Amino acid sequence: MRRRSSLPVTFLVPTLAILLVLSMVPTLYAIVIALQNRELSAPGYSWVWFSNFADLFSDRRFLNAVWVSVKWEIVTVVATMVVAIGLGVLMFEVAGPRLRNFYCLLFIIPVLLPRVSAAFVWKFAYHPLYGIATYPYRLITGGLIFDPLSKPGTALFAVASVDVWQWGLFFAVIVLKLLETLPPQPIEAARLDHAKRWQIHAYVTLPMLKAPLISLMFVKMIESLRSFDLIYVMTRGGPGVATETLDMYAFSQGFIESGKVSYASAMAVLMMIATVITFTMLWKRVQA
Amino acid sequence: MKSYRLAASLGAAFVLTASVSTAALAQAPVCSAPVKVLAQPRDGLTLLEDSKDEFKKLSGASFQIDYLNENDRRAKSRADASTVGNYNVYYVDEANVALFASSGWIVPLTDYYPADYDYADFDPGRQKVATYDGKVWFAPLTGGGDLMVYRKDVLEAAGIQPPKTLDELIADVPKLTNADKGIYGIALRGARGSGANVWRWMPFFKAYGGKWFDGDKPAFNSDAAVKATETYLKLFKDSAPGTQTGSWDESTGAFLSGQVAILVESTPLSGMAVDPKTSQVVGKVGFLPPPSPLPGGGYGHGLAIGTKANADDAAKKCAGLFIAWATSKENEKRRLDAHQFGELNRTSVLSSKEFADIYGADLGQALAETGKVTAVNFWQDPRWPDLGDRWGIILEELVTGTRTDIKGGLNELEAYANDLVKKK
Repeated sequence: MRRRSSLPVTFLVPTLAILLVLSMVPTLYAIVIALQNRELSAPGYSWVWFSNFADLFSDRRFLNAVWVSVKWEIVTVVATMVVAIGLGVLMFEVAGPRLRNFYCLLFIIPVLLPRVSAAFVWKFAYHPLYGIATYPYRLITGGLIFDPLSKPGTALFAVASVDVWQWGLFFAVIVLKLLETLPPQPIEAARLDHAKRWQIHAYVTLPMLKAPLISLMFVKMIESLRSFDLIYVMTRGGPGVATETLDMYAFSQGFIESGKVSYASAMAVLMMIATVITFTMLWKRVQA
Repeated sequence: MKSYRLAASLGAAFVLTASVSTAALAQAPVCSAPVKVLAQPRDGLTLLEDSKDEFKKLSGASFQIDYLNENDRRAKSRADASTVGNYNVYYVDEANVALFASSGWIVPLTDYYPADYDYADFDPGRQKVATYDGKVWFAPLTGGGDLMVYRKDVLEAAGIQPPKTLDELIADVPKLTNADKGIYGIALRGARGSGANVWRWMPFFKAYGGKWFDGDKPAFNSDAAVKATETYLKLFKDSAPGTQTGSWDESTGAFLSGQVAILVESTPLSGMAVDPKTSQVVGKVGFLPPPSPLPGGGYGHGLAIGTKANADDAAKKCAGLFIAWATSKENEKRRLDAHQFGELNRTSVLSSKEFADIYGADLGQALAETGKVTAVNFWQDPRWPDLGDRWGIILEELVTGTRTDIKGGLNELEAYANDLVKKK
């Protein structure tokens, strides 16, 4: 009879216990607070059960924040993947080994910048009068002013571009490295069949990289949910509520405007539930 | 004889012991640990950090100031004071002093402010702002009202006299805008916040006769608020680029870099405008009170003693000593010597010959005149930041065009105000 080893239990139990405490305690506490009516300025509280959740669905700013969060998620994830695949393939096709190394080094720098620093740098770059990013517009139009961060139609895209600048370029390096690891035979075979370059990538290399690319997309989806610092520094959710995502609005309700920590917790709990359900469904669909 | 000597020796020993004890008591350090301060960046506080050794000698401990910009400082201090209480001293302002005081997050200052430091010397207007519910809560670091600061050269070139009334201002601002030359008629604040866009909007609201509450009933949803908002939005068409989502930094920055013809802003701007280190328009600037009937927005920021971090009386005395020293006449004199106009709060300094020598008679005259029209424009209530910030969001939406219905915005704010009143 085989003797069962206690080694996995020895290693797993303490680690899982710590993980459980670290993740479950704040989660349970957030759920408990969400069922109360705690405010920072009042020491007392009572149980209001699902009242905070019900109030959320008649709060226009909450509904707007849900929509902005969905837009943010779609724009940043799609744009990051498009930039990553586009640049990765371009480097693979046109750059020699030394030039590729140089580009890799260059493209990794943005993601190494702290998020807040990147946000400040780009906030100044988008300044309507002095910004380097708005300079071409001023030059072409003879000095007309373009203020992308204060226009409701452009603010979200202006902030998203910084996210894509950081993550799209980094992912391009990963895509390039993935392409380099592929076996050359299928690519050679396609070339012998007179396939064009874009056809080789569309029908051979990228389908071969489907699994790692989907993993990259999931990483970006999770990362995009945590863009609070970028939005907070660049627009604070403005102009108006045009870039107010759910985390931004929850923080605003909890700590900036009214100190309604229970209301903010209700939002956090809803976000958590929605995220878990969405990601589980997507994951299962991809697995299938 | 022996007994006499014994008695004398005992007496001498007693006197010696008593004097040593008294001396020891007199020199006993007031502070046992460094004073932790949460503040927003101020030139005066940066200068204060050069004199850390002086405070250490005085109190027995040093101090540490953590800086956050205005909105972040408000959010962080509110979260900290209501929960863990990490800071001995909080930087508070006119907008949140009522909330901090009524929530018990700070203690009355004068109980722990040494009398030698002469609190009564502070400008009476700032003392008024620092008072809530009959008690004084902070010692001022900055404060004042509004001034109209204008470019004499730009107005002269356009053949326009400095506006004395609001109607003149509204008529003159579009005429002064010359975007091709990078000149804009005015600069306003668009960024959300009771201390940001709402702060600049309130003088218009008051000028048109608006008031916030009638007893417990919201009274702001009125023609005055609609007219004030329409005027604000109209003027915003000629406001410098970057101010639509900007606040004090953006509007004053635009003026100081020469892009703005007229600016009605808080008084520290006037000191910055005549300082070659901060201004590109030195020698071209004139000062007047805000065009009538705009009232100046009376304000004051200062240091207050935190409740939670100062658990006992000794800790509160230490925090009180720090505040008294930081706002003392000696330190204010240092700020005057460093030409930090916006950091001056004591009447003894503001009325001194040195002040007049540095800033000239014109500015002194304008300051005296604007003092007469300075008023408290906001709702003096702990719920003001909540209500003010809510209006700030709606106003930012109106300024940036994400909504256009002024009346709808006011209705929404009124519903919110009714909820606030019900919760009281």
